[in-house]
Amino acid sequence: MPQRTPLTKEAFLYLAQQAGLDVGDEHLDELFPYVQNALEGLAQLDEVAVEDFEPDLAFRAAPEE
Amino acid sequence: MDALELCYASAGELARLIESRELSPVEVIDAHLSRIEATEGALNSFITLLPEEARAAAQRAEREIQSGNYRGPLHGIPVGLKDLFNTAGVRTTSGTRIFDDYVPQEDCTVAARFHQAGAILLGKLNMHPFAYGPTGENADYGHMHNPWNPEMVTGGSSGGSGSATAAGQCTITMGSDTGGSVRIPASLCGIVGLKPTYGLVSRHGLTALSWSLDHPGPMVRTVEDAALTMNVIAGHDPRDVATTIRPAEDYTAALTGDIRGLRIGAPREYLEGPIDPEVAESVRTALERLADLGATVVEVSLPMFKYAQVISGTILMTEAAQYHRELLAREGDKIYPPVRLRLEAGLFVGGPDYLKAQQARAAFNREARGLLEEVDLLAGPTEPVTAPPILAPQVQAGEDTIGTTAALTHFTRPYNITGFPAISVPCGFSREGMPIGLQLAGRPFEDGTVLRAAHAYEQATDWGRRRPPV
Repeated sequence: MPQRTPLTKEAFLYLAQQAGLDVGDEHLDELFPYVQNALEGLAQLDEVAVEDFEPDLAFRAAPEE
Repeated sequence: MDALELCYASAGELARLIESRELSPVEVIDAHLSRIEATEGALNSFITLLPEEARAAAQRAEREIQSGNYRGPLHGIPVGLKDLFNTAGVRTTSGTRIFDDYVPQEDCTVAARFHQAGAILLGKLNMHPFAYGPTGENADYGHMHNPWNPEMVTGGSSGGSGSATAAGQCTITMGSDTGGSVRIPASLCGIVGLKPTYGLVSRHGLTALSWSLDHPGPMVRTVEDAALTMNVIAGHDPRDVATTIRPAEDYTAALTGDIRGLRIGAPREYLEGPIDPEVAESVRTALERLADLGATVVEVSLPMFKYAQVISGTILMTEAAQYHRELLAREGDKIYPPVRLRLEAGLFVGGPDYLKAQQARAAFNREARGLLEEVDLLAGPTEPVTAPPILAPQVQAGEDTIGTTAALTHFTRPYNITGFPAISVPCGFSREGMPIGLQLAGRPFEDGTVLRAAHAYEQATDWGRRRPPV
C-alpha cells in the first residue's frame, strides 16, 4: 500500500478552491487541521483486505433484492 | 382515562378505544396539545407546532369514524415528524434557519402514508442540523433536552422525536437513522426505536444525509406501536429506487411473545471495548432474561467491528458533502459550525478512499451476514454510556475517555453499514435514573424477528413503562 502523505496547507487551499470554498475566509484556518485529522483517520481503511470485494455501489441490504 | 394517561397510552391502546368509539380523536389531540404546552418549555422538542391543523384533523377523523369509516389503527393517532420529512404546506427546515421559510409542495412518502392512514400530525420535530450529529444540539432552534434530566442530551440526530415520545407529547414519531439517529435518542430517552432494513421504508421526500446509509424509522413507546407503524409506512415506493418490491407484511403478526428456539449471538467485541460498567451490567442481565424466555444466547465474534467507524464515517462524510456541496459554497457561513466542519471535510475525501470504504463495506457485510447464518439475531448495547451533558465534548465510558460523537455512534454504525434491521428497546436505568437501551439486529427483511424478540423482552420487563419526571 503506498504511503499516505500528510495534507499540506498549499494542497488544502488548492482543493478548497476546487471545491468552491472561499479561500480568503478565516474559517479555513479552522477547517485545515480538521481536514488533516479526518484524512489521517482514513489510513485505517488500508488495514482492511479489500482485494476480493467490489465496492457496494448499488447497495441493497439483501443481494437478491 | 385522564388526559395524562391518554398521552402515555400506546397507539395500540388508543386505537382499540377509538375504533369502538369509546374515545374521540378530539380528546386525544386536546390531551397531547395540553401536554406539549406543559412540557415544551423544558424540552424544546418541536420546531413547528400545528395546533389548529391538528384540532381540525381530529374533528374530521371523529366525523369519519362516527360515520363508519374507520381507517385502521393509526386513525386519530397523534404523530410528529423529524423536520427533514417534507410535509405539504408545512415548513421543513432540516434543523437550520437557512430553510426557515422552506415550505414543500408535496408530502414525503412517509407523511403521505400516515395521512392516508388517518394519523394526525401535531408538528415538526427538532433535530441536529442536517441530521449530522448524534447529540441533539441545535443553535438555530435551541438544543433538545432529555425528559429524564433536561441538563442531558436527548441524543440525535432525531432528538426532538426522542424527547416528544418519551415525554408523552406524541404517540408516534419518526426519525431518520444514518449512523444511529433513531436508535441513539431511543436509547438515551428510554423509548423504542426501530431502524428498519435498508429499502423497507421509502426515503423519498426526506432531506438526505448519506444516500446509502439513510434509514427512516419509527420512535415509539412500545414494540407493538413500532409494528403498527411499519404496517403503514413500509413497502415499495416507485420514487425511491432502493425500496424493496417484496409484498407488504403484517408486522403485528410477529408479536407472538414466543422466542423459544431463537438463537441470539452476543458479539464479544461489544462488551470488551469502552463501555460504562452499569450499561454493560444491564445488557448482560437483559441477555440472561432473553435466555430465560427460551432463546439460546451464545457468544460470537465480529472482528470487522473495529472498522465500523472508518467505513461508515468515510461513506457518510463523502456522500453528505456531495449532497450539500452547493449549499456549502453559497451559505456555508450560516451552518452550525461543528456541522459545517463535518460537511466541508467530506469535500476533501478522494474518490479512491470513498471506493475503498465501499469495498470495506462489502467485506464487513460478508462477515456480518456469515454470523447471521449461525444465529438469528445479534444483541448488545445500543450505547456505551447513558445520556451525557449537553455540549460535553467527551464522555467517560468505563476507564476510557472518548469523543462524544464516536462514543454515541460506536454500536449503532455497524447496522447502517449492513442495512440490517436493528431496534433499541429499554433495558435498564443508571443509578442517576438515566435510561439504558438493548440493541437487537437481524437478517435483512427479517424485521419481524427483531420485533418479536424485542416485544417478548419488553413484555417480560417493566423498563418501558416508567415515565420521566418532566
